[in-house]
Amino acid sequence: MPQLNPAPWFTILVFSWMIFLAIIPTKVMGHTSPNDSSPLSTEKHKTESWDWPWQ
Amino acid sequence: MAMSFFDQFASPSYLGIPLIAIAIALPWVLFPLPSLRWVNNRLITIQGWLINRFTNQLMLPLNTGGHKWALLLASLMVFLITINMLGLLPYTFTPTTQLSLNMGLAIPLWLATVIIGLRNQPTVALGDLLPEGTPLPLIPVLIIIETISLFIRPLALGVRLTANLTAGHLLIQLIATAVFVLLPMMPTVAILTATVLFLLTLLEVAVAMIQAYVFVLLLSLYLQENV
Repeated sequence: MPQLNPAPWFTILVFSWMIFLAIIPTKVMGHTSPNDSSPLSTEKHKTESWDWPWQ
Repeated sequence: MAMSFFDQFASPSYLGIPLIAIAIALPWVLFPLPSLRWVNNRLITIQGWLINRFTNQLMLPLNTGGHKWALLLASLMVFLITINMLGLLPYTFTPTTQLSLNMGLAIPLWLATVIIGLRNQPTVALGDLLPEGTPLPLIPVLIIIETISLFIRPLALGVRLTANLTAGHLLIQLIATAVFVLLPMMPTVAILTATVLFLLTLLEVAVAMIQAYVFVLLLSLYLQENV
């Protein structure tokens, strides 16, 4: 079963850890934001009902 | 030429380049960096949401001392789940079916948790080797058993991932071969088998995600004992 063959195990170890430590943490860190985003307030301004002044 | 079903796990090489290196190095273009502006696209939004929710869930049961591992464990999850899922595409090579890769990830991370425990709280770490309230005659045996179970953890961690992915890929290949063999003889049975193959593929997609999660979850549990 070739998947159990440890043959170039040191190369695989070094290379996979190199990728794992160099590339992925920067990608993951890119998704952090210092503040939680809050949804925009859905409140509308209150408006008084009005009519044309000559009526 | 007798093709063995295990040939799919042999690490291939093309034009002198081992494809395991390509399969480990290239998938990360699927994770674009978010821009510094506020508006993201849909891909980045869902990736960021998944990464942040996952990290949140993983860190909930841990002490604050273990929260330093958040970035490492989230990165590990992204690494494993991407490689597992891309490996399910036809004609691709899955690096996580290789025992050497999985043990190369499992042993250093497990060792780090154990060393952290022994350095920061040696009494508690050694106390884990003997559960409280053990009857006196059982104490020597139990310490030996607990020590073995401690040292077998990285082995189980690596072998679990390898065995699950290997078994899934083997089953898919076996049933796909059966569909092709049965098609000229018994088309109805072949169609039924193809349905099973489709359902099995869905299962393997789930397994690819679950096994990546289990790997990271177990590491976080080992960390929890040691912080």
